[in-house]
Amino acid sequence: MNLLVCISKTPETTAKIGFTDGDSKFNEEGVQFIMNPYDEWYALVRAIELKESVGGKVVAINVGPASNDVVIRKALAIGADEAVRINAQPQSAMTTAKYIADYAKEGNFDIVFLGKETIDYNGSEVGSMLAEYLDLPFFSYASKLEMDGSKAIITRDVEGGQETAEYTGSFVLSAAKGLAEQRIPNMRGIMMAKRKPLNVIEPTITEDLSVVVKYELPEAKSGVKMLDADDMDELVRLLHEEAKVI
Amino acid sequence: MANYMSVETLKFLMNNVHDLNEVLKAERYADYDAESVDILVDSIKDWADKEYYPYFTEMDEKPVVYKDGKIIVHPQIGKVMKQAGEQGFLGPTFDYEDGGTQMPHLVQAGLNHILEAANNNIPGYIGLTSGAAQLIVNFASQELKDMFVPKMLTGEWGGTMALTEPQAGSSLSDIVTSAKLNDDGTYAIEGQKIFISGGDHEYCDNFVHLTLARIEGAPAGTKGISLFVVPKHRPTADGGLESNDVITAGDFQKLGQRGYATTHLVYGENNNCKGWLVGAPNKGLKYMFLMMNGARIDVGMTATSTATAAYHASLQYANERPQGRKMTSDGSKDAAAEQTLIINHPDVRRMLLLQKAIVEGSLSLVLEAAKQSDFAHTGEGDFKEDSHDRLEFLTPIAKTYPSEMGRIAINNGLQIFGGYGFCMDFPLQQYYRDIRIMSLYEGTTGIQSLDLLGRKSTMKNGKALQLLGKDVMEAVEAAKTYDELKPYANKLAGKMQEVQEVMMALLPHAMKGDFQRFLSDATIFMEYMGTLVIAWQWLKMATHAKEALVTGNLIYISDFYESKIHTMKFFFKYEVARTSGLKDILLDPEVLTILKEKELIS
Repeated sequence: MNLLVCISKTPETTAKIGFTDGDSKFNEEGVQFIMNPYDEWYALVRAIELKESVGGKVVAINVGPASNDVVIRKALAIGADEAVRINAQPQSAMTTAKYIADYAKEGNFDIVFLGKETIDYNGSEVGSMLAEYLDLPFFSYASKLEMDGSKAIITRDVEGGQETAEYTGSFVLSAAKGLAEQRIPNMRGIMMAKRKPLNVIEPTITEDLSVVVKYELPEAKSGVKMLDADDMDELVRLLHEEAKVI
Repeated sequence: MANYMSVETLKFLMNNVHDLNEVLKAERYADYDAESVDILVDSIKDWADKEYYPYFTEMDEKPVVYKDGKIIVHPQIGKVMKQAGEQGFLGPTFDYEDGGTQMPHLVQAGLNHILEAANNNIPGYIGLTSGAAQLIVNFASQELKDMFVPKMLTGEWGGTMALTEPQAGSSLSDIVTSAKLNDDGTYAIEGQKIFISGGDHEYCDNFVHLTLARIEGAPAGTKGISLFVVPKHRPTADGGLESNDVITAGDFQKLGQRGYATTHLVYGENNNCKGWLVGAPNKGLKYMFLMMNGARIDVGMTATSTATAAYHASLQYANERPQGRKMTSDGSKDAAAEQTLIINHPDVRRMLLLQKAIVEGSLSLVLEAAKQSDFAHTGEGDFKEDSHDRLEFLTPIAKTYPSEMGRIAINNGLQIFGGYGFCMDFPLQQYYRDIRIMSLYEGTTGIQSLDLLGRKSTMKNGKALQLLGKDVMEAVEAAKTYDELKPYANKLAGKMQEVQEVMMALLPHAMKGDFQRFLSDATIFMEYMGTLVIAWQWLKMATHAKEALVTGNLIYISDFYESKIHTMKFFFKYEVARTSGLKDILLDPEVLTILKEKELIS
């Protein structure tokens, strides 16, 4: 199978988040980045598992500057066969989807994987836009993917239960928890990664239709309050009046 | 994400302070680069988050037990051993042809820091298996390598080092386990070994004990000790295993590290225990010390990492726990005001800074030792020899400072928790119990101190001490580039001058043959030198942090670098100052610890 996995970078989960340019831009200074867990743990690993069981090739693709190469190398270390970096600063879900679609159109991929969302902007937009640009069906929030010959059987988590779909042909799939289990790259994989191809291509020209005007941080939480274990009245009062959860 | 260590601090130390790229220039490490090490660090952190840290408390609550002749350990040990084999984390520093990945020691030490901080019960099983395999690789015949090493590197078989006997702990010259030559060239082994870490459990098919024993007729003392491979089960010609008459007689129930098996082994009770000689007869202790020196640095790292995890737990608690109120400008407190977080109280801040200063200083020292180990391995000529001498000198300090001061750091961390620190609901009590073993095993603090003063400070006419002086003065000169650091650089330079004064006072005792007097305060000397060596590490850290701030070459947020400089200042004010008192003790001619005519301890 010819498999494409979209990977993006996100701030490390303990990074201090701040903004610049009148709160319209994320301040990357001093921030450490990781591969988006939904892309890495589920989308990438399931693609590699499929390749291992039925053969084929896994290509990891990222949109971003050269500083993203360390994240891409990790995808190669985990088991992707080659990687592509589209040399552009991601501006929006739409431009990212367009850049990837322009590459994917030429690649004859059976499945295009990506995580259900990135853990920073939580947009969940690229997958559906990508499917639209590629004119392919889109299966979102997939928690299971099995192949029966050329037929794919996809299970999605829906409110209160699961939905199962079958499809024969190429498609785009966004991965949710359960699709695979996180795979820690081994020493040899990490060392071999720098010998695998990482092709850098320039983006096609795409115009953004929307502009981010402002970001806001959530209100700071106060410290933990310790209460006497017998003082239920005070606990209820705080949960009601301060935490506002009951 | 579990918060038990700082990946940023580790990377800063490896990449900046200890110049990983310089280490990687060696031909041996051609397949490594800074980027691949970065991925390694992140991957091992993921592994630790998932497979180590979640089991830390559980392994204490459900400790290793000995039941029906078997050692029962937490099932996670079996899972992690298998994963370590799959990931190439068993014997990673070995040559490619021996099944390793030629990983630099500096990198391995950094990765161990993550794993030890996540759960100090687990890495010993992996480290001892790697260490035992290394002894076979380095000194045994090809036949023994083929017989034992491959399955040790997959994690199917465990490995140990078996030195201690009931009557011979620190004094290895008194071991009595015997080896008698069999007709087939193997040796019949008979005796007992105790305190054998990771010595048995159900998740490995076999255990390979690297065992010290005396061949019949061998000279008395350490010159008559040989090294043997003694497996629990011996391989058969058809590829199977048969009992080798090594009985696991029990597991020691301990104060801490309760998830890490500490076994009692009995060899040859049925006269059917075979051992294979490693290398030449009577060279066993020399071979074993290859493993012991590495193991001592590993213990230093375990202590560092345990105290690091405790520091992060204390820091988190201090940032969440409100207690008391800030003082107003007239010294009173407003009872109606909202409580303040305890991190805002100066005394709590002092304790946190002490923890940070000790654990990050210790980490830098252990990485320094690991780097010197790389240079000693890959360097050439004088540089190689100097690196080896530096490593020799730093090893007892890298083992002892983190073990002794790490305990003090955790003690302060426990204090931050108040009464909760004494309760099982919070992890500080476990870290406090776990670290206590570090100043005992792999050579007690007393033994390390004798080694530092009696051997390492005097070897080659004091060459290692001179190399240290040179290294410290290089760091001093680099720090003087920045006005903010000058006072601290000058202070350390002055302190190093005082070391000469101390040596001039102590050495005459040795020259007169009064070694008991020369070494009577070796442990005080260890504390004195350990503090100065950590001051050296902190000055280097502060210089690199300042350089990043001045040049604007910031990989992390500016607070990160400023905190390094601030902690260096703290260490100099609160810890380096203590060396004056230690120096006074060392120079004091009065002797109170050597037995004279009459026993005065009653």
